[in-house]
Amino acid sequence: MSSIQRDLNLRDSHIRTFNYRNLRRLDWFLLAVTSALAVFGLTALYSASQNSGPDTSWLEIYYVRQGIAFCLGLAIALVIVCIDYRALISLAPFMYFVILGLLVAVLFFGHTAMGGQHWLPLIGPFNLQPSEASKIVLVYALAWYLSLMRERAQSVLYFAGAFVIGGGILILILAQHDLGTALVIPPVILVMLYAAGCRKRYLMIIGTVAAIALPLVFLNIDELPLDNYQKDRFRSFLRPEADKLGTGYQITQTKIAVGSGQMWGKGLGKGTQTHFKFLPEYHTDFIFALIAEEMGFVGGTVVICLFALFMLRGIALARDCPDMAGSLLAVGCVAILGFHVFVNIAITLHLMPITGIPLPFLSYGGSFCITTMMCVGTLLSVHVRKGYFD
Amino acid sequence: MPGKKQRDDAPQVKTRLSGMALAVVALSAVLCLRLWQLQIVHGADYAAKADNNRFDYEVLKSPRGVIYGRDEKTVLADNRAACDLVMMPASLPEVEALSNVWFDAATVAGGGSRLSCIISDTLTRGEPLDEIVNVGVSDEDRAALSAALPPLEGVYAMCGDLSDIVSTDRERQFARVLRAVRNKTPFEQILIKEDISKTERMRIEEYSFKFQGVYTVARPQRRYYYGATGGQVLGWFNEINDAEYKKLRPRYRMGDIIGRDGIEFAYEDLLKGTDGAMIVSRYNRSVPQIRTDARGNPYIEVDSRGRALSEEERHEAIPGKPIYTTLDIELQQKCEDILTHELFAEDIVDTPAEGAIVVMNADTGELLALASVPTFDPNIFATTSADRGRITNEVMKDPKKPMLHRAFQTHYYPGSVFKVLMAIAALEEGVIDEHTSFFCGGSYTAGGATWRCWKHAGHGTVSVVDALAFSCDVFFYNVGAKLGPDKMDAWAAKLGVGVKTGIDLPREVPGQIFTPAEKAAYAKATGAKHPDLYKWHFGDTISMAIGQGMVDTTILQNALLMATVINGGKRVRPYVNLEIGPQVSEQLVHDNTLRIVHDGMFKCVDKTQPPSGTGRLARIEGLEMLGKTGTAQVVRMAQLKGRKERDIPYELRDHALFIAGVTNMTPRIAISVIVEHGLHGSSGAAPVAKKICEYFYLNRAKQEGGAAPLTVAMQEVGAE
Repeated sequence: MSSIQRDLNLRDSHIRTFNYRNLRRLDWFLLAVTSALAVFGLTALYSASQNSGPDTSWLEIYYVRQGIAFCLGLAIALVIVCIDYRALISLAPFMYFVILGLLVAVLFFGHTAMGGQHWLPLIGPFNLQPSEASKIVLVYALAWYLSLMRERAQSVLYFAGAFVIGGGILILILAQHDLGTALVIPPVILVMLYAAGCRKRYLMIIGTVAAIALPLVFLNIDELPLDNYQKDRFRSFLRPEADKLGTGYQITQTKIAVGSGQMWGKGLGKGTQTHFKFLPEYHTDFIFALIAEEMGFVGGTVVICLFALFMLRGIALARDCPDMAGSLLAVGCVAILGFHVFVNIAITLHLMPITGIPLPFLSYGGSFCITTMMCVGTLLSVHVRKGYFD
Repeated sequence: MPGKKQRDDAPQVKTRLSGMALAVVALSAVLCLRLWQLQIVHGADYAAKADNNRFDYEVLKSPRGVIYGRDEKTVLADNRAACDLVMMPASLPEVEALSNVWFDAATVAGGGSRLSCIISDTLTRGEPLDEIVNVGVSDEDRAALSAALPPLEGVYAMCGDLSDIVSTDRERQFARVLRAVRNKTPFEQILIKEDISKTERMRIEEYSFKFQGVYTVARPQRRYYYGATGGQVLGWFNEINDAEYKKLRPRYRMGDIIGRDGIEFAYEDLLKGTDGAMIVSRYNRSVPQIRTDARGNPYIEVDSRGRALSEEERHEAIPGKPIYTTLDIELQQKCEDILTHELFAEDIVDTPAEGAIVVMNADTGELLALASVPTFDPNIFATTSADRGRITNEVMKDPKKPMLHRAFQTHYYPGSVFKVLMAIAALEEGVIDEHTSFFCGGSYTAGGATWRCWKHAGHGTVSVVDALAFSCDVFFYNVGAKLGPDKMDAWAAKLGVGVKTGIDLPREVPGQIFTPAEKAAYAKATGAKHPDLYKWHFGDTISMAIGQGMVDTTILQNALLMATVINGGKRVRPYVNLEIGPQVSEQLVHDNTLRIVHDGMFKCVDKTQPPSGTGRLARIEGLEMLGKTGTAQVVRMAQLKGRKERDIPYELRDHALFIAGVTNMTPRIAISVIVEHGLHGSSGAAPVAKKICEYFYLNRAKQEGGAAPLTVAMQEVGAE
């Protein structure tokens, strides 16, 4: 061990968990892609904001609120960068039980907004959505568990343990009827297990079961313990034209919005589908339709490519991380964001039934924006330790 | 060493990560391809669908072409602006405050509908508003109500003021405002009253400070200035039906009107014009609220939810082309007046007459008057009033058939009027000449049968001139026997009698001059049983010679015959659209024949040398008038034998016919009259021609100070 090395270690040793010098080792590429996406998001919301009435206070305008959320998220991300992720991972079991507690609390004290999302009232205009935070916590908890038990990676118990951890969160979220958030949990578990090196056989069994179960779900949609609006969304996915002004309305209008954008789009603020209110929720779950309509195929492709670059960079960070826990953190974050991106855009392009899944960096929504930025922060903090030994 | 890659564990992670990277690239590619498919492959389709969503096409209806008299000074039919009084609650001064208070109150009281029910019920019972508070409501509701009341009272008062002016139901009006506020639709126009009168409109404007948010929306409505005058000629219209719509779209839309008769039908293509469109941006699930400016042009400001809308494109409607008619509307009025009032007033007939009059320019075929009585007012089809259906139905089913034009949409026996044609045919065919004469002893016998002359005492020896002047039946029995039915038919067809005249109005009937072959065909077609009905009898020829039996002509055809005599033997095509111009044949009858017939018809009217002719009652001093009377039997004479004329039931009486022509004036006119059940052409119809000529050539010219085309002729008359 050289003297320099020792110095480094020594210097790290007394402020090991929080080190602002980490900010010197930011991944500028990832930040650039993030900023580009955020600019796209704010532009789209700026366009969407033109619909708000003249007496809307500036705090209620979409892009202002989203800008605030984004800045807040960035601050949180930078704080996360300064903290050694290994310290956070070691706290994961504690965070896990806290979040379970909050999820239970929501069931009793939370108030419901449209579409089954549950909130805990907080100070002022801000509310806390524990189900959002639970996604991040799940990634940390799984990274802790999977790296701790990595010697038994090939066993069934390793596999089952991950599902027990994820299942706790999943059940509590399902109890809130928040199908959109619940859907994120299983893919994140599976992707992290895959990256951690579990047996492919188990993954294939799960995959086969899903492949058999999903058609059954579609066919027996009436029997399932889902809310009526969720059943309607499945049905209208299968036959959107059947019910033009009902639930299929949204799908039809989304397709018209996307398709009518053609190559170059209608121009910012000139999207007729969105601005004349043919397309509901254009600023939240269907923001991609607004982008496709106003910025056309070119804009849409650029956004998809930016997301792909973001994810590939995240995977590269996982590869370059010296320890398994860090790799798994990066993989988990990419899994959360990737799931949202692919599912949201697939819904907008009518490749999947409608479920309330927002698009990272672009959809309006403070809580989800902060979740996204926490993922970014985690990825950046994984990058900090690139090339370090243990 | 920092910077050097060295992994402590899980080497398989690395390979699995590259699998994930591959998945990311693959999924992104799928999304891009799908985006390509939607935006580039099907992009144009979706763009069209987006436009469909985005725009509303408001039809700008083309105003129907104006129907003029002979020039622009006389308007027969045009479009007036019918003003509907509407109210937009959102523009009411109190409504903003009202909505706020209202919803607050409604929330407090637990549901807006219950609250407004209480209020409207109370109002309907006629109780004053402040008493609502005491009508079985809880303290909570009462507080809410009293909070809501002040602004409501203003609106209620306004509804009261409105009902004073346009006499609408105050409570209903108020309830509709309430409903609009309750349903959060204050930007939807509420119709207060359709088609308000000018006085009402002026009073609304006068008090406009009271009626903010109340305005009128104009729509064109057909107006027939002269009411029932010329009703059947101008025609009528109503909405197109489904079958027509399928055939006529896209030029016509559902709810469009289409001409059904008269000029409105005949010139539908010209009158219709081309609809324009106003393309308006619109929001999802909203209805643009159309208003009209001072000139009645539609425009748009807001939609049903009060959002501002803009007009993207406007294609102005192309108005229908105007039609200038040949009708001299004053003459038309006079003709109708003669039939409806004057004849009865002067005891020429003993009930208000029904019948028809044709006044035609003999040289061109222009129809100066084309009257049919009873008539109807086409305005009844133009209104939008609730009892339009009942009123129009009544007219359409009226047993007197006011919508039937008696001059050309039905036919009659011509009676002795037909003798003019007989004389022309016989002279032209050389069957008789000017000097041929027959003895009339009061009857004609042939083949063991006898036919009477109308004058039982007989006319003595008569030539063709006298036969026309005194309408001798026996003379024409002889002529008919010599001529035979086929030649009669040929000459009738040649001169436009018993065939369609080609008038530019719909539903013309041709009438018919039967030949033996046609009689048999007719009998066969109607399925007659008796063999007699298939066979041509000598008696048929004899009856035909005096215009009875196997002859049916229209009054218009009789006028045509008259015109031929005075215009130099030409056949004209009658018409009402001034712009299509005259259509006149070459000379069909020799001058010599015309001269003889002319003499006979002149003698018919002339009474300067006794004995005077049958048309003497038409005579006007100074006018060279030709005429021929006719009496068309309705039932066989034998049935009425021994009855006094005025005791015969009305519907069994003979029709009185008369044709007349004036040759020494400009324009030369041919007149054809029928007075239904007027008993005798000489007494019932001839005076009509006199009245028309007096009016047309003398009285009116005097009123106008001897102006215009009659000047020269008038001086001659004055000199006499």
